Amino acid sequence: MKTLKALLLPAILLLAWEIAMHVKNVQSDSLAAPSQIAIAFKDAMLDGTILSRTAETLRAALLGLALGGGSALILSIILGLVPPVARLLQFTIEVLRPVPSVALIPVAILTLGFGYGMEISLVAFSTFWPILIYGHAAITNIDEQMLDLAKVLRLKTFARITKIILPATLPRYFVAFRLATAVSLIIAVTVEIAANPLGIGYELMQASQSLHPDLTFALVLWIGLVGWTLNTLLLFAQRRLFGPAGVAFGIQQ
Amino acid sequence: MTPPATRKPLIEFRNVNHAFGTRPIVHNIDLTVGESEFVCLIGPSGCGKTTLLRMVGGLLTPSSGQVLFNGRPVDGPEKEISFMFQDYSKALLPWRTAAGNVSLALEATNVPAAQRGPRIKELLAKVGLANHADHYPAQLSGGMQQRVQIARCLAQEPSVLLMDEPFGALDAMTRQALQDEILRLIAVSKTTVLFVTHDLEEAIYLGDRVVALYPNPGRVAQVFDVKLPFPRDQLSTREHPEFLRLRRELFDFIREGEA
Amino acid sequence: MTPRAKVLWMIGSVCVTALIVVAWQMIANYSGIPAVFLPGPDRAWRALVTGFTTGDLTQLSMATVERMIYGWVLASLAGIVLGAIIGSSKIAREYVAPMLEMVRPVPVSAFMPVVIAIVGLSGGMVLIVIALGAIWPVLLATVHGVSSVEPRLMEVSRSLRLGRLQTLWKIALPNSQPDILAGMRIGLTVSLILAVIGEMLTSEAGLGYHVLVAARAFRSADLFAGVILLGLIGLVSNVALQEIERYMLRWKQR
Repeated sequence: MKTLKALLLPAILLLAWEIAMHVKNVQSDSLAAPSQIAIAFKDAMLDGTILSRTAETLRAALLGLALGGGSALILSIILGLVPPVARLLQFTIEVLRPVPSVALIPVAILTLGFGYGMEISLVAFSTFWPILIYGHAAITNIDEQMLDLAKVLRLKTFARITKIILPATLPRYFVAFRLATAVSLIIAVTVEIAANPLGIGYELMQASQSLHPDLTFALVLWIGLVGWTLNTLLLFAQRRLFGPAGVAFGIQQ
Repeated sequence: MTPPATRKPLIEFRNVNHAFGTRPIVHNIDLTVGESEFVCLIGPSGCGKTTLLRMVGGLLTPSSGQVLFNGRPVDGPEKEISFMFQDYSKALLPWRTAAGNVSLALEATNVPAAQRGPRIKELLAKVGLANHADHYPAQLSGGMQQRVQIARCLAQEPSVLLMDEPFGALDAMTRQALQDEILRLIAVSKTTVLFVTHDLEEAIYLGDRVVALYPNPGRVAQVFDVKLPFPRDQLSTREHPEFLRLRRELFDFIREGEA
Repeated sequence: MTPRAKVLWMIGSVCVTALIVVAWQMIANYSGIPAVFLPGPDRAWRALVTGFTTGDLTQLSMATVERMIYGWVLASLAGIVLGAIIGSSKIAREYVAPMLEMVRPVPVSAFMPVVIAIVGLSGGMVLIVIALGAIWPVLLATVHGVSSVEPRLMEVSRSLRLGRLQTLWKIALPNSQPDILAGMRIGLTVSLILAVIGEMLTSEAGLGYHVLVAARAFRSADLFAGVILLGLIGLVSNVALQEIERYMLRWKQR
């Protein structure tokens, strides 16, 4: 019943769209009927373009996420464990963080040229900040008693990180990575649309510029579907791994 | 279970039943509250005292039977009936100052903006918050927040005031101060009060009558007339032989109910 | 921490930033990386000064800021109105909200080619895309805020016999204030990003297009000056909004 209600409005809109396109007999370079979009999608899917292009985008997005998120993870632990470092770097972080990642596209083109390298670095820059900020917050929020416990047990730094800090902050880091995954896909596609001749974003730009509205719409929907699937999978994993508490935290973001 | 014949009946419960699903909450309640009367409802948890209050407030419709106000069945919140909640921290708008919270009741009855200011000032002064008009609830103590709620209720100029354990969460000193405050305000305005509490002494100290309820499902067990002189006083009233006698009687009654 | 210690740490952390800038200068001067790829802070600074004395950069910055703010205001207003409607109606929540959740994960930049095809390469297109992108955080925050009012407050509203509109205006919307402001802050960041991207795609005058052209012409000092300005716009708008938020939410402080 709930899903039925959820699907009703989109179904009506699609139907109205289809009918309007036929009744008005629109021959447009910018619009396409849902049925045409579906056919274009099927064709592009069958000849493998969509999948191979998507693989390129995902490769860039995930490598960038690994690079940016990984270094943010390490830095956030350092900031969390050594407060003086956090205080000293505070201003630098506050100044660098608001730089809109896309402003760096030309910088990346200039220094790295087109290709995977620039896209990965831009994704890395954009995913670095959310994970650094959430991660640092997670560590500073650890229960005092747990840190005292580590002291009482005389754990060495490495053991303290692996046995107390990481397990205690894992749910929050997972949420941070889930959010950053969405960011990584957005930035990768954006970079491809704006400049980089690579991946599904470039394919989309090509379709639009060669006046194929059916394929353009199909690709937009596909990109949305990929983003939605990634997020849903990660949400599912989060729920399985950490239970409702972890999810509740995620919703607050 | 009627008030003294001298009082005109204002609120009447007629054979009221309420069930939550199949679980009965209150059973065959018959009770009349007279004009300007102060009636306290007491009883253990599960006796449905709050349920009865919410029915008069129009927040809840009984499964069967009738709740009458001025001879008419209550079918929603009435303008003349004001409800005061226990959890002051949740019942005030946190983003409005004390004055703003009182203003809400005036806005609800479409009092013109120009007239609100002086009214609010007067109401806050009445509850001793003249100097705290611009404070937000988060900046006020629990007792002060509850005073804001009293002022908001008074702004409605109600003929009936429903109070749901209003002082239950306050410390003893504040609670006594507010008890006297309410009695003082009521003495002037002649407002009818239905007051829910689980504190025996509070019930006796405030009430003209105390209605004791049995739990599971809630039923009227016994009604006690409180023949203590007004104005009441925290020291002399509480040492009055009649007060002590009533306290004894109610205490025994409650203990019996628990056994 | 004492206020004194706080100030000292702040000074220390500014010094660290200064040290990083000095290191940048050293690398630019002595590492052998050509200035075309890495201009030192001195060159970027000179480009900034020249840009502002001729007035070019002032104009470009204004253009970008204007775009960002128009799109953001549009998105915020639409987001609050739509969010209030959806959030306060159970029917709308059941029928409309799921569709919104379906559309949300689409990266807004992906809509750009579609909007370009329909509207054409213009400033209007950029504005539409900014509004489309910045509306989500505000819309979802408003829906959440309006539909999650403390039940006791809803009873207060009923008890005072407030009407539907009065309840929305006096209770549900103010209740969503913290959510809405947080959403608007995210929306502003999104607006700046989309303004820059939009300018790059449509060649509309602004800092976004400016940095792209500078990179293509290997004018790296201008490029860095532009990036610094964009960072500054991001920083200032964020701090300003934080202050507004703090003022509007002063009732939360004890």
